[in-house]
Amino acid sequence: MTNILIALVLILLIATLVQVLRVSELLSELKKQDVNEVTDKDNAIQGRLLLIAGTLFLGSVVWQFVNWIPLMLPPASSVHGAVIDSLMQFTMLLIIFVFFITQPLLFWYGYKYNKNKKNPVAFFYPHNNKLEIIWTVVPTIVLTAVILYGLSAWDKITNADTTDSQIIELYAKQFDWTARYAGDDNTLGYSNYRLVKGPNQLGVDLTDELAQDDVVVKEVHLVVDKPVLLKMRSRDVIHSAFLPHFRVQMNCVPGMITQFAFTPTQTTAEMKIQEGEDFEFVLLCNKICGAAHYNMQMKFVVETQEEYDAWMASQKTVENTLTLKTK
Amino acid sequence: MSTTKNNTSKQLLWVGMAGISMFFAGLTSAVIVRSAEHGWNSIDMPIWFWYSTFAIVVSSILLIIAQNQVKRGNSPTIYVVGALALGLFFAYCQLKGWEQLTAMGMYFIGEGSNPASSFLYVITFAHLMHVVGGLIALIVTAVKAVQSKYTKENYLGIELTSIYWHFLDLLWVYLFVFLLYSVK
Amino acid sequence: MSDHHKETFISKYVFSLDHKMIAKQFLITGMLMGIIGMLMSILFRLQLSNPGESFAVLEWFLGSKWAPGGILDPNMYLSLVTMHGTILVFWVLTAGLTGTFANFLIPLQIGARDMASGFMNMLSYWFFFVATIVLLCSLFVETGPASAGWTIYPPLSALPQSIPGSGLGQDLWLVAIALFIVSSLLGGLNYIVTILNLRTKGMSMSRLPLTMWAILITAILGVLSFPVLLSAALLLIFDRSFGTSFFLSDIIIGGETLHNTGGSPVLFEHLFWFLGHPEVYIILLPSLGIVSEVMSINTRKPIFGYKAMVGAMLAIAFLSFIVWGHHMFITGMDPFLGSVFTFTTLLIAIPSAVKVFNYLATLWKGSIRFTPAMLFTIGFVSTFLTGGLTGLILGDSALDINVHDTYFVVGHFHIVMGLSAIYGMFSGVYHWFPKMYGRMMNKKLGYLHFWVTFVSAYGVFFPMHFLGLAGLPRRYYTNSAFPMFDGLSDINEIITFFAIIGGLVQLVFVFNFFYSIFKGTKASTNPWKANTLEWTTPVERIHGNWPGEIPSVHRWPYDYSKPGADEDFVMQTEPLKEEETEH
Repeated sequence: MTNILIALVLILLIATLVQVLRVSELLSELKKQDVNEVTDKDNAIQGRLLLIAGTLFLGSVVWQFVNWIPLMLPPASSVHGAVIDSLMQFTMLLIIFVFFITQPLLFWYGYKYNKNKKNPVAFFYPHNNKLEIIWTVVPTIVLTAVILYGLSAWDKITNADTTDSQIIELYAKQFDWTARYAGDDNTLGYSNYRLVKGPNQLGVDLTDELAQDDVVVKEVHLVVDKPVLLKMRSRDVIHSAFLPHFRVQMNCVPGMITQFAFTPTQTTAEMKIQEGEDFEFVLLCNKICGAAHYNMQMKFVVETQEEYDAWMASQKTVENTLTLKTK
Repeated sequence: MSTTKNNTSKQLLWVGMAGISMFFAGLTSAVIVRSAEHGWNSIDMPIWFWYSTFAIVVSSILLIIAQNQVKRGNSPTIYVVGALALGLFFAYCQLKGWEQLTAMGMYFIGEGSNPASSFLYVITFAHLMHVVGGLIALIVTAVKAVQSKYTKENYLGIELTSIYWHFLDLLWVYLFVFLLYSVK
Repeated sequence: MSDHHKETFISKYVFSLDHKMIAKQFLITGMLMGIIGMLMSILFRLQLSNPGESFAVLEWFLGSKWAPGGILDPNMYLSLVTMHGTILVFWVLTAGLTGTFANFLIPLQIGARDMASGFMNMLSYWFFFVATIVLLCSLFVETGPASAGWTIYPPLSALPQSIPGSGLGQDLWLVAIALFIVSSLLGGLNYIVTILNLRTKGMSMSRLPLTMWAILITAILGVLSFPVLLSAALLLIFDRSFGTSFFLSDIIIGGETLHNTGGSPVLFEHLFWFLGHPEVYIILLPSLGIVSEVMSINTRKPIFGYKAMVGAMLAIAFLSFIVWGHHMFITGMDPFLGSVFTFTTLLIAIPSAVKVFNYLATLWKGSIRFTPAMLFTIGFVSTFLTGGLTGLILGDSALDINVHDTYFVVGHFHIVMGLSAIYGMFSGVYHWFPKMYGRMMNKKLGYLHFWVTFVSAYGVFFPMHFLGLAGLPRRYYTNSAFPMFDGLSDINEIITFFAIIGGLVQLVFVFNFFYSIFKGTKASTNPWKANTLEWTTPVERIHGNWPGEIPSVHRWPYDYSKPGADEDFVMQTEPLKEEETEH
């Protein structure tokens, strides 16, 4: 019944609109005017609207920045993250600068040069090679600076020295994360998807010597200022390990091992003071992976060496859990 | 037939062939990327693919002769029919080649398949699908040749069929050499 | 000479070989698909900004299986997001945009009777039509339509066990895309060959309207890049249905260990984005061309820097082939490649900047007539600027690390495609409607459509940048699973609010369009007082376009307000006066 009513209302609305338009056209015919001709008055009104709209638009942009910058991620909690944040600031300032010069020009020209009695004729100006060169060369120089800065940051991030990094594996699957510490030998034991069985959900080769001291956990603890090398694997589809506070993101691809190196610079405790008691570092999945993609998370805790040692002491190694179980 | 129609038909064909080439470029790039990784087998190229290469090259030559004949006012029929026959033989050789691959234990899918053999099948299959189009063109051309529809003023049909057929020929030679090298 | 063959309804409206009719077929199909795609976005936005709340309209559209109790099912959410992207990127902005304007304008603007092959052209539309039917059918299958994102990365898109939409829905999607690609290629062939061969006497390449240059370059991009998507789709079909391992390796899913080894999902990404990047320029370039035309005509000035505009389009097209990796910075590919792609991507900003400056210079000291088309053209420049600038952040690999796959990206690509390119399309429709249908669209409704769209659209997409910088990922069914995003719900509500208004006002456009076809005021031959050849054809539209001889061309299309001319426009067909030099 409701559906029929809704349909009726829609039909009536359309019919009304049609009649309104017809009336307006007939009236114009009576007045011997073309209802669709764009008059000087129209130009003046639209020109003014553009000016108003432009101002409101730019004003709204400022408003958005002012009101929503506090909602942004806090400054990076990692070494390379600070590099990224600086580059981001630089680039943002650059684009905001260009934005606030070109957009006003656009709306201003729309307003100023609208066709009316004061501005009836346009200026025939087909080209100017000098101008073309200027506005090709200037962007080129600016972009060269951006490129060089960007490439140097990328190099720092992807070519980081990982000789002293603690190796931790992140294992992604629909729809959770597991982590595996490489243990005292700082070498991950061999793993293969065909070895996944029962409690051995990561497919660790239990006969491998190097695997025995590995530690499998559901929550990652890191020592502040100690470099870490994350190695990612996936069981089923592409996932992505996204740690926004550390400025870390890397896809987890089945059949491949990907990696990302970083050094955390702030403890969770410090962040709680800064951001509020509820703050936690978190790992999110950031590549569409199925129904519960929106809820694939794992907690990361950054703490002092002592706190970490205490926590690690209470964890069990592969030798004491999986290998034992299979014996 | 106006020269403009001549030109546009040929150009339509050329642009189309550019598109088809990009399709095979996609497939062969995939081979290049994959073959660099571990787990890439080497395969003895079935002898039937050598025969088919020979067949398609000769059939192209016959079409060249056919075109020369018609330009001189002679009948191209026997050469077009010859090209068609060799074209059909090409298709036959491809099927025999797949049979030979399977006999070698190189399967397309499932047990016994591996990336190299899968690619070999997919690429030769994709090429054969385009050859089917060429065979249809050859059949139409052959029928029209038998009906003496081509004159030295107007042999656009033979030209278009030849251009496409030479393309398939060169494409096959490229793919064949590429695959030979890739599965060495 | 106009064709004298007797026309039946079928030959005139259904299997027409006339480029003008085919153009309208593309336009109307594109518009209808646009409505469907737009509706999908409203549905999923309702869920996103009001998680857990029941909406009767969701159940009304999607049924009790996919929206039980008015709450959207997470799998259907991902399907809606996927189909929205697919429909808008391919069906509306590629086929709808290029299919309409290339088909309609090419013979008219270059001075030809029709396309090089009317038959191939007709086939191009009918392949598109069948592709549309197949895609729409996929909406109704039991396991749901494709849901792995419009980018369909395997293994998610290859394994039905990983997500239901990767079953039959994904099969139909792949078939539809294959048909779509064939349609695109058939069209592209015609566009290239017609522009190169069938220009009328005097129409040299340097006298071509910029719209023609844009479409020519777009078509070349399409011919070279769409086939690669086809090859990726073919290999994916084999992985899905025949157990090959092109993209699959080392997988356990649904408790089952799969036999596939040696495949690489990253290989798929390379093949996909090799098309995917040129694709966005295939979407943008026709709008760049349309806007150049509309702006020049409505400022009564030549477009500033014709040669530079052509050069910039060629540079953008060339560069578009070597930037695809910027979609893959964090896929695990070699970091060196990341550097290469950052370099090439940031370079593309240069020709884009040149074009924007040229547009501003065109407006400067113009005498602007604000038709609805012109308003959308100004909207185009504004959004191209905004979207292009955020591209500088995304193209920089180091910065991309923290914004990849967040709402920052969603904001960027919607502003450049969903706003810029669509504004170009609207501009084109308002501008060429009199030539298409011999009638004028209603001006006041046009103004209303523009202003409400312009305000709402920025209201929807500008805030998304802030969501992205707050770390909010895309393709999330709900943001309520992570406390860190709780502060963002206000922004999400604002976005949904504007999305609903923006969506509704498009109905004004649809109404205006169809009403004006039947009841619009009759147009004159050249209502905008423009120079290009299409405005010399009769209002009634005939096969073969011109009743007599095709006119010859004596000058470029941009002699507006030329000093010494009798009027503020000089059509291309006007011979040069004595003592007059050609620009």
